[in-house]
Amino acid sequence: MAPPRFLLALLLLLPFAALAGDSAPEQSPEQVPLALPATRTSSVLDNINFWGYGEIEYARPTRDLDRTVADLRRAVVGIGYRFSPAVSFNSEWEVEHSVASASDDGEFEVEQFYLEFQPTDWMTITAGLFLMPFGLINEHHEPTQYFGVQRNFVETLILPSTWREGGIGLHGTTPLGIGWSLGVTTGNSFSSWNFAPTYPLYANAFDLEAHEMAPLQASHQELQSASAKRLSGYIAADYHGYPGLVVGGAIKTGRAVKPSSIATAPGADDPLVTLWEAHVRYTPGRLDLSALYTAGYISNTAAANAANPGAGNPIPASFNGYFLQAAYSVWQNGMFRLAPFVRGESYDMGARYKGTTGPVTPTGLVPASNTPGDNVLWPQQSDKVLTIGANFFITPQVVMKCDYQWFANNTTFDRLDLGIGMAF
Amino acid sequence: MARWSIIIPAAATATAPSAAFAVEYLSGDQAQATIFPEAEQFQTREFHLDEKARSALESKLGLPVRAKWIVRLALRGGVIVGAVIVDDVIGKFDRITFAAGLGLNGVVREVEILAYRESHGQEVRQAAWRAQFAGKSESSPLRVGDDLSNISGATLSCNHVADGARRSIAVLASLRSVGALK
Repeated sequence: MAPPRFLLALLLLLPFAALAGDSAPEQSPEQVPLALPATRTSSVLDNINFWGYGEIEYARPTRDLDRTVADLRRAVVGIGYRFSPAVSFNSEWEVEHSVASASDDGEFEVEQFYLEFQPTDWMTITAGLFLMPFGLINEHHEPTQYFGVQRNFVETLILPSTWREGGIGLHGTTPLGIGWSLGVTTGNSFSSWNFAPTYPLYANAFDLEAHEMAPLQASHQELQSASAKRLSGYIAADYHGYPGLVVGGAIKTGRAVKPSSIATAPGADDPLVTLWEAHVRYTPGRLDLSALYTAGYISNTAAANAANPGAGNPIPASFNGYFLQAAYSVWQNGMFRLAPFVRGESYDMGARYKGTTGPVTPTGLVPASNTPGDNVLWPQQSDKVLTIGANFFITPQVVMKCDYQWFANNTTFDRLDLGIGMAF
Repeated sequence: MARWSIIIPAAATATAPSAAFAVEYLSGDQAQATIFPEAEQFQTREFHLDEKARSALESKLGLPVRAKWIVRLALRGGVIVGAVIVDDVIGKFDRITFAAGLGLNGVVREVEILAYRESHGQEVRQAAWRAQFAGKSESSPLRVGDDLSNISGATLSCNHVADGARRSIAVLASLRSVGALK
């Protein structure tokens, strides 16, 4: 099986990761010339970079203890190679939920796989499978980069993370502190949309994040034999010219593949999928404030929804979410740092529907699986979540986390979360 | 998979021209002149921290500190007015070369980025972010999330440049305190 052989090879090379893991190397440019002599030769390993991150979590729904979960949520190894001074390759290889096989929940996936060419100081060209420059988390999704054991729901369900597409893009930064990015990528496909799931698509908050059933999660292609007849375009910008402040936004739009149930229906056009977001983060010293709003729209859903009457999971015409978050470093001693935080967020995975009045779902307890006695209330697609917790950084690259989350609608999802994470 | 099977063993033995993805914005000489424009000349001196001083700095900083340091001394009228250290830190996986300058009054003059080699995180070059270092001293925290603001999206680069600058400034302050910078 390919992944284990590959991982074995990685393990053999992991000692070299130490080359990249030290923030304060012993070498100095005063001792090692910046411009190495053209005649110098060295091991090809000099041009390889390794990095990685991972997180383990414990989620205990306090109103539904039987669904308590401990999970190696993700283990990621990054490999980069520099072909020339201006051409490099980067990739990330991820195992989710510890074990990936046909009979397990886990996945083995290529999260990033792209070439970069930097022809000038102010512009880089990226081609391959790369992360979309949306929101605060997607491009910076290591567990040390965000507060809370889990990523926030808005940047999981409405603005998917980790969201990547295949394509080509340009990005750069101006001297005024404006970062910009634009490109053409693969889009979404609703060809295998599940209109009538037998069981609820999720039974607790853990599944809500892990089962990838939100509109753009369930329709992204991840460059897996992706339909590329029609492509999408995106543009994004950030201003970070004032210390501690980032203000930005992004928009993506493009035609998607329509559901297979209406593939041959006359007059049923491909859906146009548009997603936009705006975000701000201000980190003046110990304080860390952030906010994000995002909304998505899917056109031409009426015919598909009408073709699936009474569906429990129709395709929404719009979906949206926002969050506000505040954190403060209350204690720091050397590398140790304690930062409590509070976050309020709202998400709606089906703000508006066409061709239907909305999901038709049963009332009362329904089976959550084929296990006898495993019953739940059919979950609501919108919610408001309050999270209070703390990140305790052992070093800036190693973090322990805890939080508690209250759900306004899906109240049985209330949970205590514990987690550890690292990135190098 | 076959591709990796071939490449990885080959990586252990093959040789290739070394490449540097460097965008070199300033040389060390240019950086020292930028930090101390009033200087009439610069001298490069090599200093060796004794083991006691070196380990004391490591304990204080929580960072590795080497014994040998090359310091660029800024002179005006034959008198030392300040000192500059050019050093490296790692951004995410590649080196960032920076220069930190300290006046003989113990106050940080400036931190300059000389070379940045990655395609993301180069926001640490922003003058507004680097300006946070000016006016601080060895006794300042010089930590992101404390007296230095972060740049969202360039967290690793911010943290590591701050670490490097804190170390260079501590070394210069240590040398200054024992009268070595005279």
